[in-house]
Parts: sequence; structure tokens; C-alpha cells
Amino acid sequence: MASLISCPHCGARPKEEFTIKGAVLPRPDAGAGSEAWMDYVYRRDNPRGAYREYWHHTSGCRRWLVVTRDTASHEVAACQDAALAKRAEAQP
Amino acid sequence: MSEFAIVHRSALAPAPRVASHRIAIIALPEGHVVQVFERAPGADLLAVLADAAGTAPHAVRTAGPGQWFIVGDEPLPRDTFLDLANALGPHAATVDQSHGRVRIRVEGTVVERMLAKGTAIDLDIGAFPVGHSAATLLGHVSVHLTRLDATAFEIMVLRGFASSLWEGLERMSAEFG
Ligand SMILES: [Zn+2]
Repeated sequence: MASLISCPHCGARPKEEFTIKGAVLPRPDAGAGSEAWMDYVYRRDNPRGAYREYWHHTSGCRRWLVVTRDTASHEVAACQDAALAKRAEAQP
Repeated sequence: MSEFAIVHRSALAPAPRVASHRIAIIALPEGHVVQVFERAPGADLLAVLADAAGTAPHAVRTAGPGQWFIVGDEPLPRDTFLDLANALGPHAATVDQSHGRVRIRVEGTVVERMLAKGTAIDLDIGAFPVGHSAATLLGHVSVHLTRLDATAFEIMVLRGFASSLWEGLERMSAEFG
């Protein structure tokens, strides 16, 4: 259930403790052009199924997380610390 | 120089205590609260922090990855704070939050039942042992909870929310009066 999010630092917490920013998307280069930035800022696929989003644990550890959840069933497949996940990707 | 003296007023005066035989809500002295942020991720600072914080029990509280609070009942003179900041300097950044956060002690045989009305975290002593801390929501207010002993917790809250939280705690405790 998406109403309980298992924060990697705090454990299972109710969704009320979090703020959702939205889809995890690669940020375009500063000079990428208005079309790329239009895509990045506004256009979303709104899929039925798996979706990766940034969630902020606002009323807990205050870390940014990447939550992978199913938009139809609300099941949460994974929940990672965003900064730690990025660091792990950068140095495999 | 300012033309008027700054007067410190307690956030919770003048009624800092509510008690029945099963639950008590007690405003703690507005002593010191120092927030600590590690400089490099992953370093184990607990020994350094314990050294700097002194001997009072539960003076160091965890507050998420790489963050801690050092708390106590005594006010922290500027020089003492600077000594603490210098001692931790190579390892961590320190911010004096003594003016900005208020601590409330809640205790009694039904303390978990009272707090469970406001927070979703498991307060059973097996899951939340003495000395354990967690940042969480209590109702709509963000708080930092620490278990002080089997039947006592400390709630730390941003100063502006203290009196609202106090009223909430009174209502949550009313049935146990
Ligand atoms: Zn968290």
C-alpha cells in the first residue's frame, strides 16, 4: 500500500509524513533548448503501472527518496535514498 | 546596540504542568538544543559527540542520517557553545537552536496509548527502546521524539508550535485524567 512508505532511514511511515515532488526524470543540460525543457518541466506520461517518483520525508529524516510504486495497485516495489542511490550509480 | 533589552519568555508559561495519576505533561527547562550536521557522509561520530555533550543521560539524539541534537536543561552561554562548536568543528557543523526548539516531557503508565493517537510509529519498548529517537508527525505537527525510560518520552518541537502541541497533548490525555 502506498499509504505506508518504508523509508530506508526511518522504517514504515504514513504517507502524511511525506511530500511528493513527482517523476524521477534526468535533468536536461542548461542549453538543451525549450522543447527539452518543456518536456522536463510539464509533460508527463501518467502511466498505469510502475512509476518512479521523488518523495521527501518532510516530517521525518528530511531526506529525498526515490519511491517506485504501482499507480494502479498502490504497491511499493522499492524505496531508496535519492542521494545514496545516485552516489552508488556514479561509482559502481 | 539595540535600544531595548531582549527579554526571554518561556514558550509554555504560565502553566507548564498537567498531571493525573496515569499521565503527566511537563514543560522542560528551556536549556540548550544544538543541531549537529556531519561534514563527511558515513563517519561514525557517536564517540566524538558523546565526549562533547557531557555526562547527562540521552544528551545526544539521532535525527536522521548524519544529523544529531545535543540537548540539556542548562542554558548554554555563548562561550560554551563556541567551545562545543570548535571541539566538533573538524567533524561536524553545529547550529545553536536553543531559542527555536522547546522540549516537553510526557510520562505515565498510558504514555504510549496517549502518543499513539498522534503518531503512526511503533512505540512499543521492543521497537522503540530507551534512548531511541525518531522524527515524526504528532497530529499535524512535526516533532522529534525520544524515549527517556520505560514510561517517559521527550517531545521536541519548533517553538512556534509548542503551545498548540501542548493543547493537543492535553486533549489526547483527557480520557486518562
Ligand atoms: Zn525518513
